[in-house]
Amino acid sequence: MRPQFSIIFFTTLAGMAQGLLFFIALANLHSQATPSAFLTKLALPIAFMLLVLGLVASFFHLGHPERAWRAAMMWRTSWLSREVIALPALMAVTIAVYCYALLGEVPQWLWIALLIATLALWICTAKIYQCIRFIQEWSHPSTLTNFILLGLTSGWILLEVLIGVWGDASIQMIDAPLSVIAFVLLFLSFNLKLWIWSRNRKLKPKSNLATATGIKGNNIRQTSMGLMGGSFNTREFFHHQTDRVIVNLRKIIMLCTYIIPMLLMAYVMTSPNVFVIALALIMNYLGLLAERWMFFAEANHPQNLYYQRVS
Amino acid sequence: MNKNKQLALVIDLNVCVGCHACVTSCKEWNTSGSAGPLTDLNAYGANPSGTFFNRVQTFEAGTFPNTQTVHFPKSCLHCEEPPCVPVCPTGASYKRKEDGIVLVDYDKCIGCSYCSWACPYGARELDQERQVMTKCTLCVDRIYSETLPEAEKKPACVLACPTSARIFGDVHDPESAASKAIAERSGYALMPEWETQPANHYLPRSIMETIDAARNDK
Repeated sequence: MRPQFSIIFFTTLAGMAQGLLFFIALANLHSQATPSAFLTKLALPIAFMLLVLGLVASFFHLGHPERAWRAAMMWRTSWLSREVIALPALMAVTIAVYCYALLGEVPQWLWIALLIATLALWICTAKIYQCIRFIQEWSHPSTLTNFILLGLTSGWILLEVLIGVWGDASIQMIDAPLSVIAFVLLFLSFNLKLWIWSRNRKLKPKSNLATATGIKGNNIRQTSMGLMGGSFNTREFFHHQTDRVIVNLRKIIMLCTYIIPMLLMAYVMTSPNVFVIALALIMNYLGLLAERWMFFAEANHPQNLYYQRVS
Repeated sequence: MNKNKQLALVIDLNVCVGCHACVTSCKEWNTSGSAGPLTDLNAYGANPSGTFFNRVQTFEAGTFPNTQTVHFPKSCLHCEEPPCVPVCPTGASYKRKEDGIVLVDYDKCIGCSYCSWACPYGARELDQERQVMTKCTLCVDRIYSETLPEAEKKPACVLACPTSARIFGDVHDPESAASKAIAERSGYALMPEWETQPANHYLPRSIMETIDAARNDK
C-alpha cells in the first residue's frame, strides 16, 4: 500500500497521547499518584494537544474534509466510523478529567472511563487495517497488539520526560524503575516487530494470477494492464520505493524506534537525565514514523496482481 | 439462491478480442452521464491519468508452442457479499436491494479511499479531480432509462462489444441468458478464496481443448 502521511502522523501522535493517558489513568486509579497541577498544567494539555494534532493530520487524508462529520454515520459496520467516534470521545473524557483535576480530585469512574476510551481508540484504529482479510500482513491480531504496545511505549517515555521536566518535590522524580519499565516496553515491542516481520516473510499469498483471472493453464503472466499512463490502481496500492530503500528503512526502524532508545534507557537507569530521556523520545518518535510508513509499505494488496505490466 | 434480482455481466473470454471498445464506450457514456465526469488529468501530456470504470487487460498462459493470449475485461463485479460496502464510514457505498448493483453516492463520499483498500479486485478508482470514489454502475442510468429505446437499455459496454463477449442479465433468474451461460459453460468467479461471491462471471476459454481435440484426431 502507499504510505499515507496523514495516517502516519495521526496514528503515531494519537498513539503517544493514548499511551500517556493510559498510564496516567492507571497510576491514579486507586489513589492520587500525580499532583493535580502536574495533570492540569502539563500532562493533560500535552496529551490533548497531541490528540488535536492527530485529528488535524487525519483530515488531510480526506478528499472532502468538509463532509467529515458524515463519517460517524456507519458505526454499526465500519471500524473507520467507530474510530471517528472514539477519537472525539477520548478528547471529551480528557477534558472531563482536566476539569475535575482543576476543581479537586478526579473520581475513580472517570479514570476508568479514560482507560476504556484510550483502549477503544486503539482497537478501532487497528481494526481498520486488521479487518481487511485479504491484506494478509494486516489481517492478524499482531496488528492491534503492535499499535497498543508502541503507543504504550512512546506514551510511557513521554510521561517519563514530563515527570523529569516537572521536577517538583511533591512528585516522585525520574528514577531507575521508570526507565526499567521503558526498557521493558521497548524490548517487548521490538520483539513483536521482529516476529511480525518474520511472519510477513513467511506469508504465502492466497491469491495468485490463476485465482485472479481463472485462466486455465500454467505460467500465467500479464502482458498488459490495459493502460499506459498510470491510474489510481497503480498509485494507491504500492509504496513506489526500491528494495534498497525498504531494506535500509528497516535498519533505521530497528535502530531509532527500539535499539537506540533502549541503550539510552539503560544509561539513564544509572544516571537519570531528563535530556537523555527526551532524546530517547525523539529517536523513538522518528522511528515510529518510519515504522508506520513501513506498516503500509509492507502490506501487499491482491489488486496488484492485475497491475503488473505496461505494454 | 436469493430471490432478489442480481444484475451482472457475464464475460466470454472465448470471444473477447481486446479491442477496448467497452472501455471507451463506458468512458463516453459515464463521463457525460449521471456518474460523471470521469476526469482525465494531463490527458495529452507525457503522463496522462484518468478515471475509468472498466479496463481490458491481457494475459498469456502456457509455454510455446502451446500458448494462449487472453484478453480480460475487468470492472466492478457487484459482489453479493461486497467487502467494500460495510467499511464505508459514511454509507456512501451501498448495495441496492432491488437489483444488487453496488453504487457510490457521490454527495456522501468523503474520499477516504478505504473502500478501495477493501476491494481485492481494484475495481474502484478515486477521481483525482472530484475527490470521490467512482466505480462501474452497470449503467444504472441506461438500464432504467425512460427515454432510451428498449434495445438500448443495457450497459454501454455490452452494446459496444463487437463480438458479443458481454452478456448482461439477472444471475438470480435461472432463465436469463446470463444464468444459462454460467450454467452451461462453467462460468466462474474471480478470487473465490475471499468469499465475496462476485455477481459478474467469466466464461472460460475452450479453444485449447478444441485444439487438443483436433490434434488428437490426426
